[in-house]
Amino acid sequence: MKKHKLVYKISCLFILTLILSGCWNQSQIEERAYVIAIGLDNAKDENQIKLTYLIANPEYGSQIQGGGTKEPPHEIISFVTDDLTTSRNAANVVISKEITYDLLTVLTVSQEFAKDKDFIRWMYDTTKDPEIRRDVHLVVTKENASEFFKKNEPKLETRPHKYFDMILDRGVETGMLPSSELIEYFRITEADADLFLAMYGTTKQNDDENQKRDNDNFTAGEFRYSGQTNTTNFAGSAVFKEGIMIGKLTADETRTTIMLNDELNATDVLTTYTDPFNENYRVATRVNKTKRNKVEMDLTARTPTIDVTIPIEIEVLSAHSMVDYEKDISKRKKLKKSIEKEIRTKIENLVRKTQEEFKAEPFGWSLVARKKFLTIPAYEEFDWMKSYPDMKVNIKINVTFGQFGRQSELPNEKEIRD
Amino acid sequence: MFKNLITKYMTTSKEKLYTQQSSEEAISIKEKDITSNLDHTTSTFKSIYSYPNNSDVKFRDIQIGGINKKAVLVFINTISDTDMIEKQILNPLLLNEEPSRKIDDLISAQSVSTAKKIRDILKEINKGNVALFIQGEKQAFIINAANFQGRGIEKAENEVSLIGSKEAFNEKVMTNISLIRKKIKSEDLVIESTTVSKRSNNEVYYVYVKDLVNDELLQTVKERIDQIDIDSIQNLAILEQHIEERQKSIFPTILNTERPDRAASFLEEGYIVLLMDNSPASLVLPATFWSFYHTAEDRYVRLFYGNVTRLIRMMAMFIALFTSSIYIAVTNFHAEMVPPDLLLAIAATREKVPVGAILEVLFMELAFELIREAGLRIPGPIGPTIGIVGALILGQAAVQANIVSPIVVIVVALGGLSSFAIGNISMNFTIRICRFAFILAAGAFGIYGITALFVVGIFYMVSIKSFGVPYLSPLTPKYLSSGDTIFRRMLKNEIFRPSYLKPKDMKKK
Repeated sequence: MKKHKLVYKISCLFILTLILSGCWNQSQIEERAYVIAIGLDNAKDENQIKLTYLIANPEYGSQIQGGGTKEPPHEIISFVTDDLTTSRNAANVVISKEITYDLLTVLTVSQEFAKDKDFIRWMYDTTKDPEIRRDVHLVVTKENASEFFKKNEPKLETRPHKYFDMILDRGVETGMLPSSELIEYFRITEADADLFLAMYGTTKQNDDENQKRDNDNFTAGEFRYSGQTNTTNFAGSAVFKEGIMIGKLTADETRTTIMLNDELNATDVLTTYTDPFNENYRVATRVNKTKRNKVEMDLTARTPTIDVTIPIEIEVLSAHSMVDYEKDISKRKKLKKSIEKEIRTKIENLVRKTQEEFKAEPFGWSLVARKKFLTIPAYEEFDWMKSYPDMKVNIKINVTFGQFGRQSELPNEKEIRD
Repeated sequence: MFKNLITKYMTTSKEKLYTQQSSEEAISIKEKDITSNLDHTTSTFKSIYSYPNNSDVKFRDIQIGGINKKAVLVFINTISDTDMIEKQILNPLLLNEEPSRKIDDLISAQSVSTAKKIRDILKEINKGNVALFIQGEKQAFIINAANFQGRGIEKAENEVSLIGSKEAFNEKVMTNISLIRKKIKSEDLVIESTTVSKRSNNEVYYVYVKDLVNDELLQTVKERIDQIDIDSIQNLAILEQHIEERQKSIFPTILNTERPDRAASFLEEGYIVLLMDNSPASLVLPATFWSFYHTAEDRYVRLFYGNVTRLIRMMAMFIALFTSSIYIAVTNFHAEMVPPDLLLAIAATREKVPVGAILEVLFMELAFELIREAGLRIPGPIGPTIGIVGALILGQAAVQANIVSPIVVIVVALGGLSSFAIGNISMNFTIRICRFAFILAAGAFGIYGITALFVVGIFYMVSIKSFGVPYLSPLTPKYLSSGDTIFRRMLKNEIFRPSYLKPKDMKKK
């Protein structure tokens, strides 16, 4: 009898725990609407935003037995709301399923809104919602985000999560886009020393004919292309200072920044440099950074100096001048010097731009600078962001050559024409 | 009112019962010794055996030649070797011409013994032996002539091995002992027998290697078996349930194997093996978790082959336990854990399914268990239909009818398939039952539930003992052994016998 009582009590406890916990968080996978991308725009009222949801249609593109579907790959809804969290309920006026941010990969912000002084308040909404991951990419668009989503129509990767995943990751690999995860935005904003770079994209073509576009020197919208494809393009970066957008960098400048910043990483950079033997031609190269930069600082001097040595490995893929670099050491030396000089000028221009225009740097140098101080108050007193514009930055490039293409032998141009 | 109903039912049912009868008289007769009066003895036995109603009991009156005495042979012809009785007992007795010879010298059978008590004589006759009563003798001669019918040695069916020996135990215990003796040719191999049940007189044979086995362990096993107080124990499977420590436990603690080579290798480690008539198997005890996880083949194939098989089996065990429950946990609680492509694919397939994920999985699991159970019980000739019914109707048609999503079919089929990789039937049941527990835990608490249940399960497993030996030894708690647990070592590195058995000789070499 005593034993029975015990069993009875324990089973009661067990049943109670079942009632008390679990199940509440339970929600069926097919009863949720998966938001792939969120767009933020200015609303008329200062305390409100215009929110855009890009919701994926799970049924699209899957071959289900028992009847497929002719539904579109996604649906887009824009509305004015107070914040990112309560908006989920508001959206249910139109959307039939529970809104979830589980698959959120992209947070898109219009350029106009990103420059708003209150922008940072809205960004901190994303830190409160447990469903929003910190590795969501921040993308700044030239036009309104709501418009951007409407015009964005990928032809092949029609499933939205796939499209954004692929194009943004590929952009980071080629160095045309910076890696711009939310966590970095918050880290850099809170450290209050460096600049944060966000991806830059648009669906609008820039019609300015006079702009110099060669040599990757463009931002999204300036790259000219034709054909039957998507109007969306991503290139370059938006520069954020203290959480607010202050400018833009071109794709080439973004690549240079990645070269300088060891925290950023581009694995597949193909670019061209002027051929020292014939100014008309350019040498096609693959740029690898195998080692970390050497950053040395002297912050005690009246004019603090930064000495940066950048080791770069270059593979020459093709040279239209048909100069035989592989066999001739002296020619290689000349090429090395020429490339080093070209990169140095590029970097120096960028550094000057950051010092004069942005008055802060996106190269992550403040992390190195911190180590030069004994205490945090000392570092804070130095005020990196304020001191940076007056610093003297010395750049040293150290180019080493890798392979010279698959076939090393080149025919003599004159002999062929003979 | 309820009480009234019960009492009413009780009284009415009692009236219909037969009148109580007692077998006390018969029992008291059996306790007596036989007398020298042959006719009296014969009539006593005839009445005990209900002769001539009992058709296979034979009473053969003879006149022994030479000494000229009347005698009666009593035996049951269905369980004795009649050929042998004729040639080695009847012929020498009838054809004898020398008056001075003793009965022992007349009979040419292998063994002859004597018995006085009626009960003892009956026991021998029931074993298939011949009882010879002679006029004027106060004892009966018992001549060994037992020959029970049974099948011959056949291939192992449940524990198949590709390159090991193919013989399996059969229902004759003598054959089984012979199979073990064939593998351990040693004077230290002892086969002791004892009678466990009171009415059916079933015998259990302890098999052990005298100079290896721990005497205390052997004593524990014997005590456990002696404590059984029951009329009949048909076979080892029943015996197993009588002697195991936790009868309500979900984990098996005694290994049942049909392979003589496995039994022999356990004997050589210091384990004890039990054999019985009517059981085409042997019981190995004490058993640890690992003995259910291993197969004979693991040791027969080369080191890497054996270990890869074990790795696959271990993975299969986890897959069988967790696939369904992880599917439920992930789709109901942790959607963010799944890669987007898979998540959307699952969401898309679930869109038209009418029931929740838990019900869906439970339904499919139930269907799978049904196919398995029905497939086992179905008569041979219609066996193939079960495959068609299972695969086509339950798999494809259920998906096409939007009753289950195709991913659930994959998940359940994968789990079901994996559960077959665990060869031991008891462990197979354990895993299958646990799987349902995990599904329910996942349905209620998600991954947290799965983890909690797994932790509790591990706690429980550590607490189990089989005849004093911890279930997970030698892994937890750590014991010196040959290291044959999840993986096995090279044979030359297997130096020690398992020390949790406390064998008399620790070193194998």
